[in-house]
Amino acid sequence: MIEKDVVVNSDAGIHARPAMMIVREAMKYPCEITLIKDNIEADGKSIMSVLGLAIISGSKLTIRVNGEGENELVNYIIKLIENDFKI
Amino acid sequence: MEKLTLRYFLEMSGRIDLQLRFLAGEGGLNKIIKTGEINRPGLALAGFFDCFAFERIQIFGQGETAFMSKLTHEQKVTVYNEFFSYPILCCIFTYDFKPDDLFLEYAEEKNVPVFISKRATTQFITLFVHVIDEVFAESLTLHATLVDVFGVGVLLTGKSGVGKSETALELIERGHRLVGDDMVVVKKIDESLLMGAGSEILKHHIEIRGLGIINVREIFGIRSVRNRKRIEIVILLEEWDSSTEYDRLGLDEKKYTILGIDVPYITVPVRPGRNIPIIIETAALNQRLKKVGINSARELDERIKKWIVSGGGK
Repeated sequence: MIEKDVVVNSDAGIHARPAMMIVREAMKYPCEITLIKDNIEADGKSIMSVLGLAIISGSKLTIRVNGEGENELVNYIIKLIENDFKI
Repeated sequence: MEKLTLRYFLEMSGRIDLQLRFLAGEGGLNKIIKTGEINRPGLALAGFFDCFAFERIQIFGQGETAFMSKLTHEQKVTVYNEFFSYPILCCIFTYDFKPDDLFLEYAEEKNVPVFISKRATTQFITLFVHVIDEVFAESLTLHATLVDVFGVGVLLTGKSGVGKSETALELIERGHRLVGDDMVVVKKIDESLLMGAGSEILKHHIEIRGLGIINVREIFGIRSVRNRKRIEIVILLEEWDSSTEYDRLGLDEKKYTILGIDVPYITVPVRPGRNIPIIIETAALNQRLKKVGINSARELDERIKKWIVSGGGK
């Protein structure tokens, strides 16, 4: 299991499209992925769950991944968030 | 636990009909309510400040207000001076009794919010405690879908992609009601009651692969949704695995523990051709039967046992 923190800096926060990008990537892996904000956990493979976190610019996010390819997945998601979803 | 500011409390009080109006002390509206306990400040007003529970919400009922109206101006100055020397959270006057101007001046100066309510004191306190208890209730956010099926709160869980949302959609189409999809906020109201609600931001939206995000309330109408529901059974949807032993009898009741409360729990294997919504409807009805004391599996078992004992019909 791997856990990494990231701060979301994109002005628009994580709205539908960015959420979809996270979920689409997560679905490629067999791992379990959990996004945690303010102690609320969301399933990283569910768009509604990710949207429900209401992640805005400045939100601190913890990403927990468990399973095959966890390093690769967590790093990709972090890169996605840090690059403002422009990869 | 949420941070409950007086400002937020005032905003939400309309929803629960506390009939609260704001009078003075705006500077203190961002103070946080830390406890649901209340205090009747009668003794303090009479000048006795030992054990004065100033950190609680002060409720002025008929007794307090009658006493205040009997005080002379000088007495008021003395009492209010001492009263407001404590860091009071806020004051609420019931029976629509408006406190005197001097009291309001003190409140304004010391940033102590003052509210007034039309309700009678006991009625107000009962409602207030109920609301506050719910706010302070232990809560948990679950990745699950909550549907009201024949009046039974069914919490559907399972890995993403197993078909929770599709199942919910089919249940809605069959006349049941959606509470929340993919994210359910569960609150422990008391030692046996778990209340589930959808996420405030997602509100009755559901994501269906191939369709995208849809608004259930707009498509299926108001009767297809509800805001909250008691959770009475947990159903885990799982991909059919031939090596797993599924329950074939229903004699043993499994429990799923949420926030320390045990909820009846069943696993339903999913595979193409199995009509999951009908299985869930039946599970919900079976749960209702059990609640009124009828356990189908156990009753059949008893009948068979009796039949065997009596010689098997010979």
